[in-house]
Amino acid sequence: MPRPEQKTISLTIDGREVAAIENSMLVDAAKAGDVEIPYFCYEPKLGEPVGACRMCLVEIEGIPKLQTSCSTPVKDGMVVHTQTDRVKGAQNAIVEFLLINHPLDCPVCDKGGECPLQDITFGWGLGRSRMLEPKRHFVKPLALSPLVAIDRERCILCYRCVRFSQEISEDYQLIFTERGAHTFVGTHDGHPYSAPFSGNIIELCPVGALTSQPYRFRARPWDIEGAGGICTLCPSQCNVTFTVRDEKVLRVLSRDSLGNPAVDDGWLCDKGRFGYQAIHVDERITRPLVRDGGELRPVSWERALETAAGLAKHTGRTAALAGGQATNEEAFLIQRLLREGLASHDLDCRFSESVSLELARALAAPALQATVPDLEFAHTVLLIGAEPLDDAPILDLRIRKGVRRQGVQLAIASARPSALDPNAAISVRYPPGGEAAFLADLENALAGESDSAPDANVAALARQLTEGGEDIVIVWSERLASAALPTLLRIAERLKLAERDGAGLLELPSGSNGRGLREAGFLPNAGPGYGDPVQAGRGTAEIAAAAKAGDVTALYLLQVDPQRELPDRAAWDAAMHHASLIVAHASVLTEGLKEHATVVFPAESYAEKDGTVVHPDGRLQRLRTAIAHPGEIRAGWQVIAEISRRAGLDQGVLTGPMAFRQLCDAVPFYADLTLEQIAGHGLRWPETDAASKLPAGAGAEAVSGSDLERLASPPAVFDSSQQGLRLGTYRSIWAAPEVELSPALHFTIAEQLVELAPADAERLGIDNGAEITVAQNGTRLSARAAVRSGVPNGTAFMADGIASDSANALTERVVEVSPQ
Amino acid sequence: MSPQSVPRFDHGSRVPGWDDAVDLTKPPATVPDPALTPVSDELRAGIEAAMAKYPDRHSAAIPALHLAQQEHGYCSPEAITEVAAVMRLTPAYLTSVATFYDMFEMERKPKNDVYVCTNISCSLRGGDEFYAAMLAAADGGTDVNVRSFECLGACDIAPMASVNGEFVGPLTTEDAGQIVADLAAGRPVLEHKQLRYRRCADPGVESAAGEEPQ
Amino acid sequence: MKILFDRIDEPGLNTLPVYEARGGYKALRQALTMEPADVVDQISKSGLRGRGGAGFPAGRKSSFLPKGDMSKYLVCNADESEPGTFKDRELMQKSPHMLIEGIVIACWGAGISHAFIYIRGEYQLQADILEAAIAEAVQAGYIGEDILGSGFSLSLVLHRGAGAYICGEETGLLDSLEGKRGNPRLKPPFPAVEGLYAGPTLINNVETLATMPHIITMGGEEYAKLGVENSAGTKLVSVSGDVQRPGNYEIELGTSSRELIFDLAGGTFPGREVLLWFPGGSSSPVLTKDDLDLPYDFDAMAKAGTMLGSGAIIVVDDSHHPLEVALKLAKFYSHESCGKCVPCREGTNWTYKMLQRIETGEATPMDLDIMASVQEQIIGNCLCVLGDAMAMPVGSIVEKFRAELEAEIEAARARHDAGSLEHVIPVGVADEHAGPIPVH
Ligand SMILES: Cc1cc2nc3c(=O)[nH]c(=O)nc-3n(C[C@H](O)[C@H](O)[C@H](O)COP(=O)(O)O)c2cc1C
Ligand code: SF4
Ligand code: FES
Repeated sequence: MPRPEQKTISLTIDGREVAAIENSMLVDAAKAGDVEIPYFCYEPKLGEPVGACRMCLVEIEGIPKLQTSCSTPVKDGMVVHTQTDRVKGAQNAIVEFLLINHPLDCPVCDKGGECPLQDITFGWGLGRSRMLEPKRHFVKPLALSPLVAIDRERCILCYRCVRFSQEISEDYQLIFTERGAHTFVGTHDGHPYSAPFSGNIIELCPVGALTSQPYRFRARPWDIEGAGGICTLCPSQCNVTFTVRDEKVLRVLSRDSLGNPAVDDGWLCDKGRFGYQAIHVDERITRPLVRDGGELRPVSWERALETAAGLAKHTGRTAALAGGQATNEEAFLIQRLLREGLASHDLDCRFSESVSLELARALAAPALQATVPDLEFAHTVLLIGAEPLDDAPILDLRIRKGVRRQGVQLAIASARPSALDPNAAISVRYPPGGEAAFLADLENALAGESDSAPDANVAALARQLTEGGEDIVIVWSERLASAALPTLLRIAERLKLAERDGAGLLELPSGSNGRGLREAGFLPNAGPGYGDPVQAGRGTAEIAAAAKAGDVTALYLLQVDPQRELPDRAAWDAAMHHASLIVAHASVLTEGLKEHATVVFPAESYAEKDGTVVHPDGRLQRLRTAIAHPGEIRAGWQVIAEISRRAGLDQGVLTGPMAFRQLCDAVPFYADLTLEQIAGHGLRWPETDAASKLPAGAGAEAVSGSDLERLASPPAVFDSSQQGLRLGTYRSIWAAPEVELSPALHFTIAEQLVELAPADAERLGIDNGAEITVAQNGTRLSARAAVRSGVPNGTAFMADGIASDSANALTERVVEVSPQ
Repeated sequence: MSPQSVPRFDHGSRVPGWDDAVDLTKPPATVPDPALTPVSDELRAGIEAAMAKYPDRHSAAIPALHLAQQEHGYCSPEAITEVAAVMRLTPAYLTSVATFYDMFEMERKPKNDVYVCTNISCSLRGGDEFYAAMLAAADGGTDVNVRSFECLGACDIAPMASVNGEFVGPLTTEDAGQIVADLAAGRPVLEHKQLRYRRCADPGVESAAGEEPQ
Repeated sequence: MKILFDRIDEPGLNTLPVYEARGGYKALRQALTMEPADVVDQISKSGLRGRGGAGFPAGRKSSFLPKGDMSKYLVCNADESEPGTFKDRELMQKSPHMLIEGIVIACWGAGISHAFIYIRGEYQLQADILEAAIAEAVQAGYIGEDILGSGFSLSLVLHRGAGAYICGEETGLLDSLEGKRGNPRLKPPFPAVEGLYAGPTLINNVETLATMPHIITMGGEEYAKLGVENSAGTKLVSVSGDVQRPGNYEIELGTSSRELIFDLAGGTFPGREVLLWFPGGSSSPVLTKDDLDLPYDFDAMAKAGTMLGSGAIIVVDDSHHPLEVALKLAKFYSHESCGKCVPCREGTNWTYKMLQRIETGEATPMDLDIMASVQEQIIGNCLCVLGDAMAMPVGSIVEKFRAELEAEIEAARARHDAGSLEHVIPVGVADEHAGPIPVH
């Protein structure tokens, strides 16, 4: 869809010429012209103005009544007065009205010092109160949710929080109840307001009515500093500001009120907003550990580094894995260590099946990459196997925005029902693991053989894609079977996604920096920048096998615990058991490491790192050190460089920026980048000239052959007479160690919920919420049943990536579900 | 004078839940899953019929709440959850709507509604006195829900009240007891004072005889 | 001259046969033979002004709707919640088909294919009668597909409200009809451009629409001859309060108020005098006995600093104190304020509390000045005019009856010997602590 055009006009405010964008709201135009008009309810992020607080009244020549500048689009030649007695009178009155029922408890209010109501009362208020009546007083503060406290005395009913719940996250749980002066913010029948984005209302509240339970009374505005950073708890990589007091992160806010439109639009999910607590927990490792007498014990850096340097003895037999929170630099240095120093080529950061280099290059082609804003202005957004809410939460909000405000047509193809289904024009369900077959059907349908489409939805989807407008964005998940990718690529070619700016593919990697790690060359079959590798090596699955077989004897684990995060838990248990040296960088001891690691280096948190990461749409963003390293923690790049030196490879990096420089020299399409450029809002490399240096992938047809061989035969149609259920897995937004470690988020910790169709639940005699057992050749997991209408019959969906009873213990496609 | 003793929620408005915290043991109230929310056939049919009348199903919210209130006696959390399940909305959406309107009751209430108008025209003619009398008359009785209401649009029979929707007036304080009695006996309430039989006051409408109540 | 009330008590008039027998739906047949533009033109010529309160010329409003075949809507405003107003009630109860016929005509004129009647939930009898009448009209083919073979189609849905004065305000009504809380909307966009379901919407009062058939029958010019300049036609006036024969009266606009209140409505009770009166519902600034000879029409009322409003006269005699009236007003409007915008929500509430303090002897004459300035700051600064609807009459009472109010302040203080005001000085804040949050 064409982006809105912007025409500049000029108007007069308080006698001064002001240039502004036509039809932008007067209050914004004034701000741009250095005239401040006070307001409460206006918040462009929330969409259309509501004009409720009346604080922004101004005089406009030619209009008898005062007008709300928050809702008045500017026109050329408009003449506006914001300083007349009439306006001042109204402003005084509004402040006076607001204070009638607002307790003046600023000295004990958590918002004090950063409170719009305080500032506006000071700036535009009467300065004295004419009100004698006692103010209303209520019990306060009260819990609105485990994360948010509400103080109803202070609420000025500005609509911000409820509009967020109703029009942005669309969970519609937070409401106004009652009417008039009795109106108050609440929920249905005392249910808590817990939803994945609920924390945003804290930032939206212009008074101290909604406060953060974890942050309340931890600091005063004059105690704290703000430090810009990137949240790397998921691939959305939202731009944040860390509230820092005494080298501790006490709060995470969106970077600035309007946020980074290219990334997060100024919103955060609750994992990102409250997960910072994991930075300062006791479980955090702050000293190097070495296994000694079967136990991991704190040791000196010297000893830890020496132990790690033992990698030298495993030349040719070392393998490495990198997890999502690692920076490009860290990954880059480790792949150098392995390839150049240890003559080992087994390294991977893709934990599902590997993808051929040709295909990977083709899928990464700059012209084919969609951007985040494209989601908002596309004609059609198609999700394939991706659940934004879990995979990259903030994109869920962006997609809702596009559908709600721009009329984007949303289509969803997935095995599991999606949180976005109610917003979708078309939802197609395929059996778990059936994406390759589905895409094949879709391709046929697109090729005009739509009658051959087994499913009317597929035909409808094909029609939407061919007739619904050219700007199509396909959002797909790294978890798609790689056998499906060649078809995906052919579909992209057929739809000419590469030829249009507003169209393209957007992959949601499983790891926060999944894209960056690959571009840094952390792949078995690709060097930095998708160059040909010195020598091809083993991928994740093969590494596990090789380790078990003794062909791989040392493992280097960069912020990943295979037992916790990778498929086939058993295989990894065996692999780590057999490996004689395991070097890990980790911030906490997860099970696998506790049991098997030889040496563990304390990893930096995202608030401590200095380095770069890559957003799924190719935007390089910079992590900056916001707080000092706790305990003895050292920078990751520094530790890796030191290990390399002791293992015989001098990488010649003495500072973080030097590592970045090396990376840019090694990755051709980063050639144009400098840290200065990517500071602030980051920079998309696909938009730089150097983008052309990405080795071209072979056309879809060429790559197809090789991969199509491995096309997993689509699962047979399910016969419900059979006892078992087809297994599908999902990774919840809450399935992350940071969530388990953050006290505030404990209530969200994902237990194993098995989603069942009502019919199956009935057949198996299982009630919603009942304790059940899931079994598969020998392995038994205990779980709780969640009966859901949307779940297709004969299917069970289970969570992986969770601490206990994770689905990654299961390897087969069918499970037995029974009451406990 | 302590803040608590300040009259804040008088004049007929329901006492709101300002002071209520949420119950953290409850799950968030999302759109109820139809598979887990039983709804009576009449209610479901009624709501679906209502939704069919409008270009946008949301318009059926008020009709649906009327139906649910009839069936459940008041807009109980369950009633609202059932409507939400049929209308595919969150219960909160409907709670927000229900609490805005005076005719939806959020607390369990007696069966019969007596809305006494205490707005200007009625109070000029003794509406407040009648309200007091009505409260007294209904006191002890369990099935009469007496509420003071704003202008009900029948100032020509001031002071007046709406008894289960039937407008009666002009009322005297004696009528209060009669209303309770009629309700108890299940007969038409104050039939000779029912608005439905009242002739137009305008002498100019040379009207044929309107039927009289017997 | 009776137009709307002509033989209004005729038995069975609420049924189709009787209504047809006296020529009902002839106007519709006639209108359907005319060009839509001519229908609107007749309405404009008739000089009919909205009967709901704002008095906006009906023809002009209808002409604001964009032409072309997008979905357009008509909403008949039958919320009638303005205190003192009960004219629409009698009309709908006794002659529902007159309203329905008017609606169909108005829709034909403006090219509208979906119509709604938003009736206040308390009007159960009237709603039942309308529902039956609509069913009859559908049966007879006056509503539905291809009406009377004209090719024109219209759906008409009766929507019952649930008790909220604000839903009479046209945009609050629209939100309510869309199934939301009845909060008024920002204007612009105006309903004629973006109203119900974001489509162009024509909103008219019951009486306004019920007049349409008669305009078609009489012809615009003829109708315009009734009444006086700028106030054409007849008007249903609800007279209530301290009068001997309260009720609805149909008069030609321009009739003297005294005639209306005394000759028709029987005037005050023996030995009583008019203290003050509302000419146009409780929202209109009050008049006194000196104003009784004003002609009852839009301009005369405007000139007297008040308004004709919904055409509802409330008479208050000298057995009552102005404070009583002000209190009722403030109580009503603070109860009915939707709460969306600050000046209305807080202003009405504060005004009510200030008036209560006079009653409890806790006020000083200074409070009257504060009250007056508060009213000034409400007027014109709210999202809709509900706030003004309290501020104007209360302001006028404070202004016109200042002496009485000051006397009452003193009297009440004497009664409660509330010498000191200590106990109404704002109390300290409840202290807050960082302790655990109390939950259920
Ligand atoms: C607070 C408020 C309440 C209103 N109540 C009513 C009402 O009950 N009935 C009505 O017809 N108009 C009412 N109005 C006027 C409507 O907003 C609108 O002007 C009218 O229905 C338009 O119809 P008309 O042009 O035929 O008068 C009210 C306006 C306000 C501000
Ligand atoms: S809680 Fe805050 S954001 Fe919500 S309405 Fe009140 S003041 Fe506005
Ligand atoms: S900011 Fe304009 S009305 Fe609130």
